[in-house]
Amino acid sequence: MADATNTNDELYPIAVLIDELKHDDVLLRLNAIHRLSTIALALGAERTRDELIPFLDESVEDEDEVLVALSEELGGFIDYVGGPQWGHVLLSPLENLAAIEEPVVRDKAVESLNKICVDLSPKQVEEFFIPLTIRLSKADWFTSKVSGCGLYTAPYSKVSPPIQEQLRQQFGQLVHDDTPMVRRQAATNMAKFVKEMPAAIVVEEMIPMFQHLVQDDQDSVRLLTVEILISIAEVVPKEQQASHGVLLTSLRSLIEDKSWRVRYMIADRFEKIAKAVDEEVVARDLVPAFVKLLKDGEAEVRTAVAGQIPGFCALVDQATLLNDIMGTVENLVSDSSQHVRAALGTQISGLAPILGKQETIDHLLPMFLQMLKDEFPEVRLHIISKLELVNQVIGIDLLAQSLLPAIVQLAEDKQWRVRLAIIGHMPLLAGQLGVQFFDEKLSQLCMGWLGDTVFSIREAATHNLKKLTEVFGVEWANEAIIPKVMAMGGHPNYLYRMTTCFAISTLSTVVTMDVIAKSILPMLEKLTSDDIPNIRFNVAKTYSALIASLRRLPEQGTIYTLEQAKTPFAPSPKGQQLIDERIMPSLEKLQKDDDVDVRYFGTMAASAATGATGAPEPMNTSP
Amino acid sequence: MSDLDRAIAQLRACRPIPEAEVRELCHKARELLIEEGNVVTVNAPVTICGDIHGQFHDLMELFRVGGDVPDTNYLFMGDFVDRGFYSLETFLLLLCLKVRYPDRMTLIRGNHESRQITTVYGFYDECLRKYGSANVWRYCCDVFDYLALGAIVLGASNTLPSAGGEPVSSSPDADEIEIEVRNSDGQVISQFLRQQQKDVARGRINRSTPNGGSSAIMTNGGATPPPPPSSSPPTSTPTHTGPPGSSATSTSAGSIGNPAGAVLCVHGGLSPLIDKVDKIRLLDRKQEVPHEGAMCDLLWSDPDEIDGWGLSPRGAGFLFGADIVRVFNQRNDLSLIARAHQLVMEGFKEMFDASIVTVWSAPNYCYRCGNVAALLELSEDESGMGVLARSNGDVNRSDGGMAAAAATGGWAPGPGGASVGGSGGQRGQSIVMDGGGGGGLLPARAGPARRYRVFQAAPQDSRGMPAKKPVADYFL
Repeated sequence: MADATNTNDELYPIAVLIDELKHDDVLLRLNAIHRLSTIALALGAERTRDELIPFLDESVEDEDEVLVALSEELGGFIDYVGGPQWGHVLLSPLENLAAIEEPVVRDKAVESLNKICVDLSPKQVEEFFIPLTIRLSKADWFTSKVSGCGLYTAPYSKVSPPIQEQLRQQFGQLVHDDTPMVRRQAATNMAKFVKEMPAAIVVEEMIPMFQHLVQDDQDSVRLLTVEILISIAEVVPKEQQASHGVLLTSLRSLIEDKSWRVRYMIADRFEKIAKAVDEEVVARDLVPAFVKLLKDGEAEVRTAVAGQIPGFCALVDQATLLNDIMGTVENLVSDSSQHVRAALGTQISGLAPILGKQETIDHLLPMFLQMLKDEFPEVRLHIISKLELVNQVIGIDLLAQSLLPAIVQLAEDKQWRVRLAIIGHMPLLAGQLGVQFFDEKLSQLCMGWLGDTVFSIREAATHNLKKLTEVFGVEWANEAIIPKVMAMGGHPNYLYRMTTCFAISTLSTVVTMDVIAKSILPMLEKLTSDDIPNIRFNVAKTYSALIASLRRLPEQGTIYTLEQAKTPFAPSPKGQQLIDERIMPSLEKLQKDDDVDVRYFGTMAASAATGATGAPEPMNTSP
Repeated sequence: MSDLDRAIAQLRACRPIPEAEVRELCHKARELLIEEGNVVTVNAPVTICGDIHGQFHDLMELFRVGGDVPDTNYLFMGDFVDRGFYSLETFLLLLCLKVRYPDRMTLIRGNHESRQITTVYGFYDECLRKYGSANVWRYCCDVFDYLALGAIVLGASNTLPSAGGEPVSSSPDADEIEIEVRNSDGQVISQFLRQQQKDVARGRINRSTPNGGSSAIMTNGGATPPPPPSSSPPTSTPTHTGPPGSSATSTSAGSIGNPAGAVLCVHGGLSPLIDKVDKIRLLDRKQEVPHEGAMCDLLWSDPDEIDGWGLSPRGAGFLFGADIVRVFNQRNDLSLIARAHQLVMEGFKEMFDASIVTVWSAPNYCYRCGNVAALLELSEDESGMGVLARSNGDVNRSDGGMAAAAATGGWAPGPGGASVGGSGGQRGQSIVMDGGGGGGLLPARAGPARRYRVFQAAPQDSRGMPAKKPVADYFL
């Protein structure tokens, strides 16, 4: 008796969940579905199979949101029904879900069915899964057929040759279906399906189906055949391809298709296509096709094919590249669409290693120079962001001469995001250009950003200075950066004075003890009595960062260089002395400040300095 | 308080916080806001922002351009919610920041901070969709009732410090620039010099001494006296007055701690029932926005090129003309009224001889208007006299401002200020007479130096559109 009550008690929450499966409120039903595994675990495998699954089988009349969740849960349910040998019991509810009108539900159901199929034995697949696939494919309504299309690839390799043949035939029916929805889905799945088969069967049965789809009157179907073409070309050995003229004709007709969406698909996958076909086809058909697409009337197509330039050009020989392709690529520099030029900008540098030094100077450099003057900042930015590649080929001297005006222009661009991007490239450029060139030409810019009107730029400028210090060393920083940063502390506007605080926090790991003591601390001491509380609490925050550094800093060198060199180092007692003598008095003052935020951050910094872990004075925000 | 910091971090990522936390947050916010007056006193420097309208990602862009909280002081002039897709995250983030840094953030009420409006224009639906119940909407609406109706900014500088390390090279004299418009790249789009007449007025006021030094300058007529050096300490004027906007003062310019005159910030505009800022302080604001009356007008009115008052096409509030603004500013010792409420394609628009400005901070409003947005930065007074510790409502929070001001030999507010108000009043009157020249016009005030930062909408890829809900069909 006592035992029975106990079991009832344990099952009570489960009973609630099961009730919730039928509840009126969608949210509660959804919640219950997400905890279906808990219910199944409590019921045990047998009752799950006998009671829960049949119940779910009947609950397809629900909100789509609930059904999506159910479809997803069932995909991982094999363990709860008793392992793979019982996996087939899950097929029935999923079959119902795969016939639902809402595509999201169907997609999830198909996904789960394929997941389950992996765990089923060949016998189970033949006995339960294949009939399901066939049933869905033969259904009256297109929704089931669309789901059916997705259920061929997973079981195919698990079944015997006669059944495989039956599957192929049935798939052929779907390819020839009346509704474009089904043909689209068949085309999508065919690309994966052909990979399961040996070349002979592909040639014999799949190529005719492909041919049928290529001639479809809907461009939405035709554009999907590009992927099939790539799959077929990958399965059929290159030496056999020549004998199947159909493939080549189809390829040509797709390239010439009157719908730009189809040409876009070709353009977007040009490199993949070129890699899958033999070299003769590349030289004879694809090179002219490539040039043609580069001149396509649609900007979308040109943008897509511009993205394929380095990939495809690496596959053709240098002579062809220079004679047949480069001319057209050069024309893209002055393309009427900024998006085409931007796409070209990201890719063009990739040609440098392919062309070699002399050809890069002859062909690429003029293009660079023109694109660096492009009116669209993104084009310029893309060029600059990919400069390493060119740099490796032609060397920095040559590059720097042509580069500088463009960098200066970008650094002052109207869009602050462009300025932000160019700041991001600064450390890299600095490393490549060397300290002398940098001091002469770029340091002015980097310091100018500290006083930019946009906060994000000022912030990025401080991080840039840190990276520059990492590149050029602390002596350089002490001469070039620190005075400038300190000068900002005297700016009449508090937002700019604050830059000094931010910069010091950021630089604290790349400066030496000496710099902190001689340059930084006096400035901060001055700022502790700033009129604006915002400055005072930022000083407190900056002190926190400095304290963390001073605790680790040895007498000589910076934390960054020592960590890079992996030399073990011990903190110098001078650091603690500076904390005690120079920082703590200021912090004590800040802790007694009139402003609550200053007191808060002052206390935070002080407790970090004394190592006290106790929480700082809580914010007193209510009276 | 780490709970609050965590909530801020979560909201910054545009993820709503749980209902229970919203409840607690709104409760805390109400405790805080109830202590604030109807008109909050804010000290420069401060960055003033207009409508946000639930455009969360553009609010983040605003912070990227203007600086983060608490580093930059902000004043938001209402209309945080409705129309955009993220009203909830926007309002809760601003409210969290207000509770966490009450002295760095000021929120005042807009006409959309109301139960009736939010049920129509999106905020209610959004709460319902994101929480499954209207509870959060109710909590937020309760907070709306406690938001202040306006703010007075004191101590703004009347000279523009040069941006960045380099001085403004093209300018004839930084002192003479009254307005500078910069886009977010820092380039000066345009600069406006102080008008000569104003120069006269300002020069006189700053140099005026009790023994009638002003008349000497007036005899110069239209001649331009050299602008006074910005460092000239206002302390040289012995007259002590109370803060502008209170009855303790009536000088029209340059009271100590307020060399440029005060700036009144309200969401909509003026009301025929309000002739003095003090009248706003007398309202009982803790209620739903009424359909008429002073409180309604402050949140609904618009300036317009008319004489006197006119009927508003909005169906609430009024239209008011340049004369109304001039008289109101004169009477209340204001140099500028900053308001929001109306979309302006350039982000900001000064009207009526720069006596009122509309600031709009929702770029590409409703994700389709194509407008830019703006911030208005009022700098701190360089003399340092304008900076007083803030204490709105809670005297214990920031206690020592008064003592600090007194220690620097400055102005002691309170009863003392009120007692000398009379003499200030006389001086103010004489200025009205002098400055009028002919025709009895009140002189336009030399406003505080205003720097507008114009910015654009956040780039598309950094914002996600809600998947299911289609774009609502409400617009303007």
